[in-house]
Amino acid sequence: MDFYFGLAQLIGVHTLLGLSAYIVLLTGQVTLAQAGFFAVGAYTAGMLTVLAGWHLVPALGVSAMSGAAVACAVGFPALRVKGLMLVIATLAFGEGVRLFFFNFDYQIAKGGIKVGPLGGEGFRQIRFFPENGWETWDVMLFIWVFVVAAMALLWWFDRSRYGTVLRAVGEDELAAQSVGINLTAVKVSAMTVGGAIAGVGGGLYAHYTTHIEHASFSILLATFAIAYPIVGGLRSVFGTLLAVIFVQGFLVEGLRFLGDWRNLLFGALIVLAMNLRPSGILGRRRHA
Amino acid sequence: MLELRSLSRHFGGVRAVDGLDLVVEQGQIFGLIGPNGSGKSTTVNVITGLFAPTAGTILFRGRDIGALPTHRRLREGIARTFQNIRLFGQLSVWQNLWVAQNSAADQARQGFFARWLGGQSGAREEIARLLEFSGLAHKENELAANLAFGEQRRLELARALAARPQLLLLDEPAAGMNSEEIGQLRGRILKLRGSGVTILLVEHVMELVMGVTDRIAVLNFGQKIAEGTPAEIQADPAVRKAYLGGGAA
Amino acid sequence: MLDFFQTLSDGVLFGATYALIGIGFTLVFGVMHKINMAYAAASVGGAYAGLLVLKVLAGAPAWLVFLGAFVAGGLLGWMVYVTCFHFIPLSSPLATLMSTVGMLLLIDEVIVHVTAGMPQGYPAMFGDVMLFMGDFSMRGDLLLVFGVSVLAMIALLALLYRSRLGLATRAVAQQPVAAQLCGIRLVRVNALTFVVTGLLGGLAGALIGASVGTLSPLLTVPLTVKGLIVTVIGGLGSIPGAIIAGLLVGGFENVLQLYRGVTERDLYVMLLLFAFLVFRPGGIFAAKGGRD
Repeated sequence: MDFYFGLAQLIGVHTLLGLSAYIVLLTGQVTLAQAGFFAVGAYTAGMLTVLAGWHLVPALGVSAMSGAAVACAVGFPALRVKGLMLVIATLAFGEGVRLFFFNFDYQIAKGGIKVGPLGGEGFRQIRFFPENGWETWDVMLFIWVFVVAAMALLWWFDRSRYGTVLRAVGEDELAAQSVGINLTAVKVSAMTVGGAIAGVGGGLYAHYTTHIEHASFSILLATFAIAYPIVGGLRSVFGTLLAVIFVQGFLVEGLRFLGDWRNLLFGALIVLAMNLRPSGILGRRRHA
Repeated sequence: MLELRSLSRHFGGVRAVDGLDLVVEQGQIFGLIGPNGSGKSTTVNVITGLFAPTAGTILFRGRDIGALPTHRRLREGIARTFQNIRLFGQLSVWQNLWVAQNSAADQARQGFFARWLGGQSGAREEIARLLEFSGLAHKENELAANLAFGEQRRLELARALAARPQLLLLDEPAAGMNSEEIGQLRGRILKLRGSGVTILLVEHVMELVMGVTDRIAVLNFGQKIAEGTPAEIQADPAVRKAYLGGGAA
Repeated sequence: MLDFFQTLSDGVLFGATYALIGIGFTLVFGVMHKINMAYAAASVGGAYAGLLVLKVLAGAPAWLVFLGAFVAGGLLGWMVYVTCFHFIPLSSPLATLMSTVGMLLLIDEVIVHVTAGMPQGYPAMFGDVMLFMGDFSMRGDLLLVFGVSVLAMIALLALLYRSRLGLATRAVAQQPVAAQLCGIRLVRVNALTFVVTGLLGGLAGALIGASVGTLSPLLTVPLTVKGLIVTVIGGLGSIPGAIIAGLLVGGFENVLQLYRGVTERDLYVMLLLFAFLVFRPGGIFAAKGGRD
């Protein structure tokens, strides 16, 4: 049973990652930076609970803010340029973040041992959950509270004028400008919200795995992040959730027997999926 | 309302608009005609800010708007329609109008939070009026991409009106329409003038231009070759030569 | 001071390979208005495939290996075209992008599997030759890398500007619909673009392997990022831009490595990219255009 809770935890965290990309994709911008914001959130929350002794909830709040701040900072220069430039800029950013944490050391002595991030070795002993007596079941529920909250937020956006404006920008930037929409403000705001969600996801990730390192936040993770909303379709947030369940639940677990060959299959499956169904699982809207 | 002084827009060696002087008075319906490639659409694009002028000034209500980005010009009160309809296809008719409510008046009417995060109820009245005016009330929830061509054109116009413009730039709104539709369009344009909107009509279809404008300017190769009332323009030999081919309109 | 020039010169010579990679990205973008994210991976893949020459013909000369990489690169380029661009409708840009990312992951994994993750040594030519001008030296193998790259660029430019295929390619880049109406087979031009850039890429991969001495699958992602940075700095779609940017990045990177070490070096290259994005988003050869 614990195994399934663990899987649910993973799906929850990856859904947050996917949702962070979803809102940016609505504006028509492809972002490979979400893994970077995820990483920032992970290290931030980890450091706050381990090194500064904070409780996880406020630490996650700071994760959200740091993710948002970094996203906003990256968004401004990157979103001023055409869409494909954003792909490149965000890819470079993601790699930059990974490199940053590869070189990042900040250890302090606690109870006789050194704790904290240690460059290439990563950040071990993020033990807030075990130290406070949380069971796997508790952690799973805790994660899903945030997932539900994020989905509710984005669902609300979708029904509000903001979400409609996001989609208008994604449809036709020229027309959007001409009806008075401030493209930069809209795109950067979406990026910022995405950064906040990714930050929270990263913070939760750090705590349930208890050990994070630079290699976890690679281009593969960045690809998963946008793959979920692309594969799930941009019609609604539920598409992203379905995609995560499909990819992580079905593909990853179901294909576990393939062992090492699994990674090989990811790439091939993505190529196949895009050839067969270019508009995603839930596809485009046919009716309002 | 609108004044263009020596406005020029060059694309490399091509002088799409060349030293154009134009004055549109408040409340006028001003026509801009000319052969294909004469610079009509480029003029509209420069006025709305999609292209920066190579030279010259654009004054709107006495203010130089040359430095304002496109979305700010909308808020100043300039709205436009597109020659090739650019609706938000995946949004419904209602939503197309909703996202266009960006005028200063709308910003003042509702608080920031309500305007952006509120649901559809806040804007119902205004949008209902626009739908009524455009005859699209029954198609409120239909995706814009699913509308018939004539309906799309009406939505395009309605969307420009959603911004409560003081100056409306219509870029070839009659293209592809039959006589009956042109008549209806004419009626709507006149009704708009009645509500105080100034209109700059870029058009090819003479039936519409001659029947609805107060004043017309004729462009050829980016330059103004004539200006006057519809009757004067129709009689002008230079215009005939450049455009009407020296024969009947 | 000598160190600075030495490092700069080594970097610029090596930067010719970045230029080739940048050209590959920029050419595909120019013709199809899409980014082929798998390009650098395919180039490294081609380089690895070149090593197969040694398997078949033990003790074969280095240039034969390079040739093998060249050819393999072309084949891989064609493969990427078929799997990622041929069947997917061009109106789904997200789909082609994801597809090429999928290919990037796939090629990466194939390399890891086949080589069991072990780095492979790569043959070099003129590896022990050094040219001296006083205290200033130039490595023979780097000079060769530079020389071969320059020859490849000249060949490409000759192809683009002096051949019918090149003319057709440029036509498609400017007006795909009109080009088709003139009887140019779009599919053929697109596929050949991928083959030609693939050839260049395979060669670039081999040259990188030769100058560094080893090939490792860890190369693919950093090379992708660097190649894209070069493309952006040079201006998307501009070949001269990619050439200059490649040399610039090569020199910049090496000098920064001298002063700040290997690990910080790549961060500075990212910063260079962001600087360009903020101040000159069109790249070195920014196209003049409208406000949108």
